[in-house]
Amino acid sequence: MKYTNPQFRDAVSAEYVLGTLQGAARRRFERSLKDDPRLRQLVAQWQNRLAPLDELVEPVQPPARVWRKIEDRIVRAGPRRWLSDMRFWRAASFISAACALLLAVYIVQQPPRAPETMVVVMSGDQGTPAMTVSWPVKPSGKPKLRIRVMGHPDMPPGTSWELWMLPGSDQKPVSLGLIGTAPTQELAIPANLAPMINRATGLAMSQEPAGGSPTGLPTGPVLYKGLCTPI
Amino acid sequence: MADNDAIAQLMARCVLRDQRAFRELYRHTCAKLYAVALRIVRREDWAEEVLQESFVNIWNHIAEYSAARSAPLTWMTAIVRNRALDWLRRPNLEHGDEDYDLLVEAVADDAPGPELILGASRDARALAECLKQLTGNQRQTIILAYSHGLSHGELARHLKQPLGTVKTWIRRGLDRLKGCMDTSAAG
Repeated sequence: MKYTNPQFRDAVSAEYVLGTLQGAARRRFERSLKDDPRLRQLVAQWQNRLAPLDELVEPVQPPARVWRKIEDRIVRAGPRRWLSDMRFWRAASFISAACALLLAVYIVQQPPRAPETMVVVMSGDQGTPAMTVSWPVKPSGKPKLRIRVMGHPDMPPGTSWELWMLPGSDQKPVSLGLIGTAPTQELAIPANLAPMINRATGLAMSQEPAGGSPTGLPTGPVLYKGLCTPI
Repeated sequence: MADNDAIAQLMARCVLRDQRAFRELYRHTCAKLYAVALRIVRREDWAEEVLQESFVNIWNHIAEYSAARSAPLTWMTAIVRNRALDWLRRPNLEHGDEDYDLLVEAVADDAPGPELILGASRDARALAECLKQLTGNQRQTIILAYSHGLSHGELARHLKQPLGTVKTWIRRGLDRLKGCMDTSAAG
């Protein structure tokens, strides 16, 4: 339907704002709004006329979970915060420099050979190593991660630890699975990730709701992270 | 309103994808907007959903806000109201409407609402003055529809009037309201 008659345009705009324009007519009107700036103007005028009726509303504080859900949905659309956090890269570069030094010493003492093992020293914000993850570059049998957790950390009830592979600078983290707090653990590398894991730039571990991230991407705080080093 | 200036500044930062500004914007406006949603859908869990959807919409469409057209809070409120109205009109939505009768009684009073007269803004006083010019039925149907999201059918049922009568009250009431407000704005 074309909204041509000026009186009709204004009347329909009014009932749209009032809320009494409904169903198919409302949908049709909304479609017309998209490419009719004059119609949008009429709607805005009615919104301004009736807006004082909202001034009377007594504010009611919504529960905190509403904001968490909104944040979840808008933040995930943007870059991950901890990937753009300088502290992460500073800690990561410190650790990788230390690893490189160890590696250099190692290489000098050894005849050259292909790396056998990937090691990730993972640490929290303070930069203290808290966990190591390693795996053979060329596994014999099913590929597994060997995980060592230091310092007997606590996992709050109702939460899980989820380990993430960081495939590269622009790519999203990929879940490797849930881990526990035990000092030594093993985690099978999911078959679809086994071919890519040697090319990963790093690993991260985030705290998630029990059972793991509901979204397939980290939603909770990243507790530990580190870069992959072949040795 | 000073509050509107603060909100406008936060919105400008949100256009640049400043998530911290968006959090502030939420903090400033959520209680008001939650109340608007709650008044229409009248269930806390639904109002939470509506608020969540609305803020995601606000974030995604914030660049489309035009300060020349409406105050920032009016623009945000319109998004919440639309979302709440859509929510109420979902197919297969079951809701008991017995308490609409209470609402209807509450708004039945002929007075335009003392809160509106005492309302902080000049716009509110202008609207209150013009609502006084309407008949009681026109005023009641318009306030019920706007504030609580009642449809023509619901209004007719609860006011025990034929549908056509209710539609006429609303149409004439809106027409008169516009005439009155345009005159008072010009004067």
